[in-house]
Amino acid sequence: MILAQLVLNGLLVGAVYALFSSGLTLIWGMMNVVNFAHGDFVMLAMYVAFFAATLLGWGPAAFVPLAAMALFLLGVLVYLMLVRHVMRGPMLAQILSTFGLALVLRYAALWAFSANFVSLPEDLTGEVVTRGGLRLEPSRVLAGIAALLVTLGLHLLLTRTALGSRLLAVAEDRTAAMLVGIRPDPMQALAWGIGAACTGIAGGLIALFFYVAPSVGESLVLIAFVVVCLGGFGSVPGALVAGLAIGVIEALSAFWVGAAFKDVVVYALFLGALWFRPQGLLGKA
Amino acid sequence: MSGGGMAMTASRGAWGRGVAVLGVLMVLALAALLPFALQDVFQQRIAALVLLAAISASAWNLIGGYAGQVSIGHAVFFGVGAYSSLLGYTLFEWPPIAGAPIGILISLVFATLIGLPTFRLRGHYFSMATIAAAELVRILVVNWPLVGGAVGLMGPAVPRSALDLSFTSPRPYYWIFLGVLAVLLLLTYQMSRSRMGFYLRAIKGQERAARGLGVPVQRYKYYALLLSAGFTSLAGSLYAMMVGFVDPDSGFGILISVRMVIIAALGGAGTLFGPLAGAIILVPLEEWTNAAFGGGGTGITYVVYGFVIMLISRFAPGGLAEIWRRLRAAGRRHA
Amino acid sequence: MPITRRGTLALPALALAAGPAAAQGAPVKIGVLLPLTGNAASAGNSARAAIELATELVNTPHPELAAMPLMATAGLPNLGGRKLEAVFADNQGNPSVGQNQALRLITQERVVGLTNGYQSSVALTASAVAERYGIPYVNGESVATNLTERGFKWFFRTTPIGPDIARVYLDFIEEQQKQGRPVGKIAIVHENTEYGTSIADTIAKEAEARGRQIGLGIAYSANSADVSPQVLQMKDAQPDVAIFISYTSDAILYMRTMRAQGYKPPILIGDDSGFSDDSFIQTVGDISQGVINRSAFDASRPGSNSNKINALYKAKTGREMDDTTARMMQGFLVMADAINRAGSTEPAKIQAALRATDLKPDQLMIGYRGVRFNEKGQNVLASALLVQLRGKEYVSVWPEDQASAPLELPFKGWS
Repeated sequence: MILAQLVLNGLLVGAVYALFSSGLTLIWGMMNVVNFAHGDFVMLAMYVAFFAATLLGWGPAAFVPLAAMALFLLGVLVYLMLVRHVMRGPMLAQILSTFGLALVLRYAALWAFSANFVSLPEDLTGEVVTRGGLRLEPSRVLAGIAALLVTLGLHLLLTRTALGSRLLAVAEDRTAAMLVGIRPDPMQALAWGIGAACTGIAGGLIALFFYVAPSVGESLVLIAFVVVCLGGFGSVPGALVAGLAIGVIEALSAFWVGAAFKDVVVYALFLGALWFRPQGLLGKA
Repeated sequence: MSGGGMAMTASRGAWGRGVAVLGVLMVLALAALLPFALQDVFQQRIAALVLLAAISASAWNLIGGYAGQVSIGHAVFFGVGAYSSLLGYTLFEWPPIAGAPIGILISLVFATLIGLPTFRLRGHYFSMATIAAAELVRILVVNWPLVGGAVGLMGPAVPRSALDLSFTSPRPYYWIFLGVLAVLLLLTYQMSRSRMGFYLRAIKGQERAARGLGVPVQRYKYYALLLSAGFTSLAGSLYAMMVGFVDPDSGFGILISVRMVIIAALGGAGTLFGPLAGAIILVPLEEWTNAAFGGGGTGITYVVYGFVIMLISRFAPGGLAEIWRRLRAAGRRHA
Repeated sequence: MPITRRGTLALPALALAAGPAAAQGAPVKIGVLLPLTGNAASAGNSARAAIELATELVNTPHPELAAMPLMATAGLPNLGGRKLEAVFADNQGNPSVGQNQALRLITQERVVGLTNGYQSSVALTASAVAERYGIPYVNGESVATNLTERGFKWFFRTTPIGPDIARVYLDFIEEQQKQGRPVGKIAIVHENTEYGTSIADTIAKEAEARGRQIGLGIAYSANSADVSPQVLQMKDAQPDVAIFISYTSDAILYMRTMRAQGYKPPILIGDDSGFSDDSFIQTVGDISQGVINRSAFDASRPGSNSNKINALYKAKTGREMDDTTARMMQGFLVMADAINRAGSTEPAKIQAALRATDLKPDQLMIGYRGVRFNEKGQNVLASALLVQLRGKEYVSVWPEDQASAPLELPFKGWS
């Protein structure tokens, strides 16, 4: 019974991991730029949710879209002002750019909000429900289902819409896309915006049951990397499968191996994946 | 006539080299005298810390600057060096310096474990792998009581002999660090002028092309990493001897890695004196911001660092060295 | 020639330190090392406010606190009424920075003594500098045992440390057993930085020495955003006693998660730091009724020094003083008292005065049995009692002779 509860919690969290990792995989797949600040985007979204809930009294139906929009804008801004210029430059510049951004976001948050964890008001989504011996926290269930839907929606956007095919065309071959009249710049800005919006939604959802602090970005970005790595760069379905798997693995390791080592399991998995199958489970080589 | 001319050029070349060597020796001598010019003990300590930071950053520079493989997990080597020194003391009562060669050996093993599998991956993957590796080691150390766990390791509280290298005055540390830095920079210089340097430049510029031309890419990246890891480990050992303490955060923390990268990148990654320049600016600056803002509790140091990194990446990836070059070029154009 | 070198270096330091003594009327400076930025910044800033209050109280007459040394008078009476000045330095929670700042305070600011440090790692490196320069160092709050195991002559510590705390808990548990409560299975849940680890280790050692086992040991990373697997582990193991060693954020996190998972240990002990913080009480106090904490600071008794100091602190900052801040303030006051008794700013005289310290309980602002240092520099009269959360206040419940309310078990939590 405890085991079933663990797996359930793990799947629900995993769905949210899948969601923000989809954003990363989109950006990465499209322009080969790694966003080291991805976890801190999620962290900012969590704070947006926190302030909307505590200062404005909003519920998730309102603050999740708000976080999505705020982060969308941030993503586009980061692309236009920073990434666009370093994309074709030396590797050091590319890595330093988003890494520097991560530091700025993280430590500005630490300075502004202090290191203490804060959390959203209790029971925004209702009391815990027990079904068949399992405790279902409405916040986690809501987050899990919403994350699944958004991930599927993103996948459909990319594969079934005209906009999606334009995005994928730029990802596949920038020059060829230009030759058929697609302007890469707006597409890439859009990709950053969408990728960041995913973190916005994910952050808003996670804030319902995780605790909000400037330090969460650090661990979330590694999780995003692991998920993207396992699932394959550029593959949203891959991110979904890998995200769910990581959520469960994390919960089970925390229980069996101990809380202190659960991160070790995730990192070891990551390194193992990099070494043995860098293209991921569902990605192209 | 041409024979005599060539002889003249050759001897002028020898003269030129002689002058250069003399120049370097003079600079070294002046640097060695600096602690006497600084009366204040605290300033002497800052000077020693500048040199220590320059050693770490210059070591990082070998793999991150010259070979273009951006490691953000170099703390793993630094921590191994620091821990090895203090473990030797804690477990076997050795003077901390005795643990330093062991630290270097272990770091070389780690470099092999991390580098060999990841070098065939593209740049970003390598960076992330280094972050993950360093964090993994840090967590393992936190949970391993034999190496001090979360509490950390202490050095000799009271020095038992001069061999313990536990001085009250910062001056002896300054001179030791100066010596190590000089050796490291000399090695870096020789390397950059050798075939290895040539290959690394090719790899950094266009790895695929280099491979196509027959450059043994993996092997030379690996050599660069070994050299880098060894010196970073030594820097860690020196740190442990000066501060007399290490714990998982001060040995393996990600901020240690970040600091190395910032200092090197600020001064100019891939240049000989870039890391030293970065250290000369950044270390006193840290002290100043602590004194100016720290007491007031604002803590914006890392926000500023982050901005600096972003600005460098956006406008001058070559750091101050690049800015300096551009200014000189601009000056020449106007002359 | 290291000994001679140390000797020759100590002499100029003494000469330097004697400088301020010559300048009559100049304030006597004490260097205070605190984490004013970084993860422990809230603790550091609370302590700063408390020490600023302490300085103010020493420098101005406060007859209502006359039982405590230096309160009734203005300034330091044995130094001609010279004022006390606390020089704050931010150690950023980093041992190397702490060492730098200690060096700066000693050589540039010319302080006559150093206090605090907070993180044990910082206190360790900073006090190493003080020892070399022959400057007294009084630490009021760091718990790592090794600080007083180095054979240092200039380092003094007023707070109870790991072994003292472990003894209190184990004595308490044994008494509960005598009263017929099951205490066979003990769980220790601790965050895995030096604070959590050192206390957890000493509790485990003490338990073992008394023939008990720790049934479940959970070490978690202080950075966790989700602890439900850990709570599920406890739910699975069903310990009789759960001892938590956590900072504020994790303490709040655990209480909330336990409630979400519907789990309540019969006896819940929350060790100091996180659980005595005012924000813990304000945020999750209502679902943590009956949590047992150890504290040396009981502000509930009207007329006591603790009560008065708490009122003054609250007037200054708007918050209640917690145990950690109180311990830090007491350390600072002990240093000030020693300087006064020395009647001089000469380090060796202050050191002698510290060695001779013998403060009685009614001279303190915290509930120790007194302050008297052994040859290792550790206060042998440091103690703590157990308090329990009732409403929004912790009341002392154990040992019975010092209790102001009866102990209520099992742990109520949110019901």
